[in-house]
Amino acid sequence: MFELAGAAVRLGGRSVLAGLDLRICEGEQVAIIGPSGAGKTTLLRLLAAGLPAAAGRVRVLGQEPACLRPPELRLLRSRIGFVPQDFGLVPNLRVWRNVVSGRLGQRGLLGALRSHLWPSRRDLLEIHELLERAGIEERMYHRTDTLSGGQQQRVALVRALFQRPRALLADEPVASVDPARARDLLGLLDRLAREEGLTLVVSLHDLELAREFPRVVGLRSGRIEFDEPAEQVDPERLRSLYRLEDGGGAA
Amino acid sequence: MRVSRWRAARPGPAGWTLLGILAAGLLAAAALGLGPRDLLPREGGGATALRFFRAALEPALDYEDPVLRERASQPYVLTLLLALWRTLAFACAAILASLWGGFGLGFLASSSWWEDEAGDPGTGRLFRGLRPAVQAGVRLLIGLLRSVHELLWAVLFSAAFGLQPITAVLALALPYTGNLAKIWSEMLDEAPAGPARALRQLGARPLQVFLFGRLPRALPDMAAYGFYQLECAIRSSMVLGFFGVGTLGLLLRQSFLEVHFREVWTVLYLVFALVLLMETWSGRLRRRWRLA
Repeated sequence: MFELAGAAVRLGGRSVLAGLDLRICEGEQVAIIGPSGAGKTTLLRLLAAGLPAAAGRVRVLGQEPACLRPPELRLLRSRIGFVPQDFGLVPNLRVWRNVVSGRLGQRGLLGALRSHLWPSRRDLLEIHELLERAGIEERMYHRTDTLSGGQQQRVALVRALFQRPRALLADEPVASVDPARARDLLGLLDRLAREEGLTLVVSLHDLELAREFPRVVGLRSGRIEFDEPAEQVDPERLRSLYRLEDGGGAA
Repeated sequence: MRVSRWRAARPGPAGWTLLGILAAGLLAAAALGLGPRDLLPREGGGATALRFFRAALEPALDYEDPVLRERASQPYVLTLLLALWRTLAFACAAILASLWGGFGLGFLASSSWWEDEAGDPGTGRLFRGLRPAVQAGVRLLIGLLRSVHELLWAVLFSAAFGLQPITAVLALALPYTGNLAKIWSEMLDEAPAGPARALRQLGARPLQVFLFGRLPRALPDMAAYGFYQLECAIRSSMVLGFFGVGTLGLLLRQSFLEVHFREVWTVLYLVFALVLLMETWSGRLRRRWRLA
């Protein structure tokens, strides 16, 4: 499903990821952990074909993003659900309008306009069903900025599911919620991913929560420190992942 | 380290600019020889000023000219209402035209959107190549439109087309197109980039990213500014009357020339009421849109 071989990413002239080798198979559930600045977001965007690799090989859903023409690349992106840390929702639009945007990559300009202004019954039913599964169906016609942070995150998740994706990537989904809600949300992600048969990749900075995942990838300063089943992760290695380097460490 | 009050309180670049503007204002006032005594009325002007301000208490409800009062083809109130209607009509027609122009030009002149798209491999090469030329050209055009005041455009167009309605509408529409395009493009740039980034990530093409990611967020602010420009256009449309366009300004000029101060006040009150009404209306709309 995802395959990196010696992949590197440079942003603004700075090396963010270097020499990454990673294989994620269909239906796997993976947690990526590491301190802030380790490159977790960049790695997720690289997997989502949102960034070009400076070196190495990247395969996403069996395709090489670097070899695709822009329309093909956009189609590839539309097959990957991505829940950004800032949710990326338009606050003054109603919830269903934010969700219906999920299929922009699969629609032409006119089709997109129509789906926003005069949506089809089928779209609305589908959106309602997804919102129901995320537990926020009664908010469908509300303005998005009237929802709580946790609810908005679910809207972003539903938008990603509305894409009919093959993989779901979530960037720090529990960064801004309390521990009880964090478990709740990860449970929701896990359940939805299983129901839809999706590959799930989640970035986290909380070690405890990462233990719920069958596979944990530790990232530090743009390099993979370990990649193993959760129960095998050595506590000492976890601690070293978060240890500050002398003189400040990675930004 | 030693503390320094000068280092702590020293103005930054913005502070120096403000101080510079202040100094320039004082310098200009000195150069023009302005003083509070200039506000005192000149010889013989005192009586006129008194007459003018006393007329404020009793605005005219009918023609002040006794001959007109007898023979006028239409009552004074109708004359006023017709001029008011034309004032509004010119302003609305001009703003409607400016909306389209301002939207198109503002979209092309906004920079953050172009830059984000140009850096994305999902964007076509044609688009990326076009960007610098289009943006520079559009910004030049906007500057051109804005640099000439609507009254100056009116003079130019009345030389070209004569005194027709289209002259007034064009004269108003051009600078307001420039204003809307400039401010709207800035508002589009200020809209948070998060939604646009998310839509690009899910495979939206550049125009979709703009329409569904950036535009909706900026729309309430853009509408509020559009309303403000409509208010300005109404005032300008009135002033165009001084050039002979049949708006409230024409009545104002005629009344002034004939020293009918009570009529002058009637028109002024009408304009005041109109602007106040527009302001309350747009303020109410803005509050409704802003709701968080």
